[in-house]
Amino acid sequence: MENITITLDGREVSGHRGMTVLELARESNIYIPTLCDDEHLTPIGACRICLVEDERTGKFLASCVTPISSGMVVNTQSPKVLKHRRTIIKLLLASHPDSCLVCDKGNWCQLRKIATDLGIGRIDFQHLPNWTAVEDVNTFIERDLSKCILCAKCIRACQELVVVGAIDYYLRGFATRPATFNDQPLESSECTFCGTCVAMCPTGALMEKVKTYRGAAGKSVSTTCPLCGCGCSISLEIKDDKVIRVRPLDGVNKGTLCVRGSYGLNFVHSRNRLTKPLIKQNNGFEEVSWDEALGMVASRFSKLEEYNPSSLAVLGGTRCTTEENYLLQRFARCTLGTNNIDSDNRLFRTGLLNKDDYFDSDSIEHADVIIVIGGDPSCSSPIVEYKIKRAVKYNHTQLILIDPRQTKLSAFAQLQLHPRIGSDVALLNALANVIITESAVVSGIRDHKGFRDLTKILGEYPPQTVEEITGITADNVFRLARLLASAKNLVIIYGTGVTQHIDGLDRLRAINNLIVLTGNQGKIFALQRESNSRGAIKMGITPNLLPGYQSTTNPAIRNKFEEAWGVKLPTMAGLTAMEIIQQAKAGNIRGLYIVGENPAKSYPNSTLVQEALQALDFLVVQDMFHTESAQLADVVLPVTSFAEKEGTFINFEGRVGLLQKAIECVGDSQPDWQIILQLAQKMGRPFPFTSLQEVRDEMERWVTSSHGIDNVQLWAVKYQPRQVDLDFPLALLTGINLFGIGTSTRSDKSLLLKGFSDQHAIEINGVDFQELELIEDEEIKIVSPVGSIRAVAKENSLLPKGVLFMAGSTVNRLLDIDLNPESKSPVMKVCHVRLEKV
Amino acid sequence: MDATSKLIDLTEINSVVDKHKEQRWPLIPLLQDIQEKFGFIPKESVPIIAQKTGLFPTQVQGVISFYEQLYSEPRGKKIVRVCRGTACHVKGGSTILKLVKQQLGIREGQTTADLEYTLETVACIGVCALAPNVTVGNQVYGQMNPKKTESLFRENGG
Repeated sequence: MENITITLDGREVSGHRGMTVLELARESNIYIPTLCDDEHLTPIGACRICLVEDERTGKFLASCVTPISSGMVVNTQSPKVLKHRRTIIKLLLASHPDSCLVCDKGNWCQLRKIATDLGIGRIDFQHLPNWTAVEDVNTFIERDLSKCILCAKCIRACQELVVVGAIDYYLRGFATRPATFNDQPLESSECTFCGTCVAMCPTGALMEKVKTYRGAAGKSVSTTCPLCGCGCSISLEIKDDKVIRVRPLDGVNKGTLCVRGSYGLNFVHSRNRLTKPLIKQNNGFEEVSWDEALGMVASRFSKLEEYNPSSLAVLGGTRCTTEENYLLQRFARCTLGTNNIDSDNRLFRTGLLNKDDYFDSDSIEHADVIIVIGGDPSCSSPIVEYKIKRAVKYNHTQLILIDPRQTKLSAFAQLQLHPRIGSDVALLNALANVIITESAVVSGIRDHKGFRDLTKILGEYPPQTVEEITGITADNVFRLARLLASAKNLVIIYGTGVTQHIDGLDRLRAINNLIVLTGNQGKIFALQRESNSRGAIKMGITPNLLPGYQSTTNPAIRNKFEEAWGVKLPTMAGLTAMEIIQQAKAGNIRGLYIVGENPAKSYPNSTLVQEALQALDFLVVQDMFHTESAQLADVVLPVTSFAEKEGTFINFEGRVGLLQKAIECVGDSQPDWQIILQLAQKMGRPFPFTSLQEVRDEMERWVTSSHGIDNVQLWAVKYQPRQVDLDFPLALLTGINLFGIGTSTRSDKSLLLKGFSDQHAIEINGVDFQELELIEDEEIKIVSPVGSIRAVAKENSLLPKGVLFMAGSTVNRLLDIDLNPESKSPVMKVCHVRLEKV
Repeated sequence: MDATSKLIDLTEINSVVDKHKEQRWPLIPLLQDIQEKFGFIPKESVPIIAQKTGLFPTQVQGVISFYEQLYSEPRGKKIVRVCRGTACHVKGGSTILKLVKQQLGIREGQTTADLEYTLETVACIGVCALAPNVTVGNQVYGQMNPKKTESLFRENGG
């Protein structure tokens, strides 16, 4: 690209065409103050603080919107420039309150910083204050318009980054302010309370709502958000060893965040945190020392292990760091001697598309076609949703949704297909059928060994026939198939609406077929539920894989690990998560070690799971809180939160996010990795690690080369109709709420989030709602073959007849344990129920 | 206001919006057309306009609220403009304004409930010799005094 040279403060510097003076100055380490500029936002030159002087013309230019041009002689610091800057700051301060001393923004205020830099104290202009009442009706954000400088950062963040557009300038002149549509309060607007505007605000105009004055943070620590699989980079602002504020950084999230990250992380300081190890006594739990608790765990596990290592099992890891996962699986295999190790990954994903590639999610924004199948990223992975919306809004990307429900993304979709529940495989096969019959396949694929079998099967799925199964018109199938085949930059995103069905594995295979046929390998993302779901699988928290996706059944691989670890590895195939529960109920699993999971609430058929946990001889739960599962434990070990430890998470892209210790451990809690190391020691088989770095060094030995599963495979999968039990005619779809995650153990500890996460509402389609003569908010009983719950009925006319929706984990009490025979993943997305009036 | 909103025909809004489908920067001409049709830009039309132009409703609202000549509230059949220019001011224009406000029972920028009159002020209408001046619709009433003000709206059917 062509270089342009200009003179900047007497220095010759060059940049590329299109660069602004401000960008070039930053690159050349010349500081120009800014208020309305942000690297993620389109510059608009609103604040004029970045004025510089063009010495040739004597003109003053806003450097953030002035492109460099050849021969420019720019002075950023001339006395005239400084004079103008001072005037601008004084004018801003003339309508700004003198409340810096008690403003929570404190030293982080950019207006104050620039005023200080320019030596401006009290100003001699007449004050023209813009007194307005502080708006604080909503739970999350407080707005003091008297401090607003109209830089439009909040407006641009909302429109350009989060693509909600809840606010824009309203009125003109002195009356101008950012306002919602019809000037309604935020809570009745489109606002999702993601907090991005609050983070961007250069002054104290937008602040998170807090009950008392908190002041400015003394330090900030960058780390990774633990509240979903996006792995957003965040900065924790710390004061007096407390996290007082959370701010987005520039990782996968690019300066944005969601309501969970912005306002949900105060679970760290919850009063309900476990601070001491607990041992169950006859009448409740008793606080004991670490030595006693670990001693008890070690002796009970040792006894059970002597009896039979296969009677022991380990569950957990998706919320732990990658290093901890490595230690946990090594603990299970080497110390306990069992392959019975699994996590709630079994509930959310299947192993097919585990290829260990890093796939930058920026590709979402550059895609020309995005297909979202069975996913609601607006709730489960907000950062992914922002990227999709940015692509559609600013890059003309075509968005196609395949989901029985309408979601928030529907407003952005060019095409929405709502297949009947359970018919996805037929639809996906019909798409593959069209792609093949129209010869739109990638060259060379016809020679693939699976191609012939696939075409044979696909013959049964012409779009016209499939219409009867799926309810999707043949026209739409043709339209989507052609779009798929012609896409230059395709991205497919799938969620638990694919994996949590009985044919989840087949659905994934059918999706994979489409990708292989069109030559788009790797361009697929799974929405990840937990912060380290991927790290857990990569490190071998799964019965059949050792670290680095290496098979436990391969003797050569086992030998390699046995040599390195100096133990004999178990050869018996391990049990998966739901099998562990079933075998616990049957009495074959007798000791269970649960790390950061809450199966009593998060697994299907909660009643049965609780019985299974009660049937155990010995249950250890390692958690931050006294969860439903911990209530059933014999020993409860308190762990630190993400803010109190170091380590790494692997997000949905495969990006490694770093955790840094921001505050001291709460009470006597310890990081998972230290607990595991001590347990191994107590059991007489210590690990050779004294630091996390040593763990990391060993762990990386196993995963340096990619051991991913070959994706270039074609699967001949068939659609299998399922019988509907006439006693339970309604299909209840499950999902997640933006304001709560998992079993809400953590998110409910944030009172802000709890107020919004309605775990007891059931959305009922208009037809059934009318037929049952329900009234809005009426309490109703939902009955399934295994249980019943009560919930508050809400009409949702967008749902098709016969379909209900409920977010949260309460619904798990209705689900039976119904496993895919191959992946052993339970059905969790849909439950057949009937409604009864109370 | 609500009574008038109910009279707004959404299909009419849609047909106006559709006329600008192919236009490159359609927003302002579109808003002007809507205003031409309804006399103001009904709130109900904003989400429709936003959707068709690929903007957020807040952005459309921002443009409407920015321009003085785009109205988001219904306007009266006749626009009453009381002059606040220098000559009219000296001749007691502010008293006339006060009286007009009393007479119509509205403030500047407002419209009477029967949608007859909208009250505005103007900086000068160019006939300072007749100060103080008031215009009703296109008619100029010069050398206003309290008595004439009183009869002004009676004469105009108010």
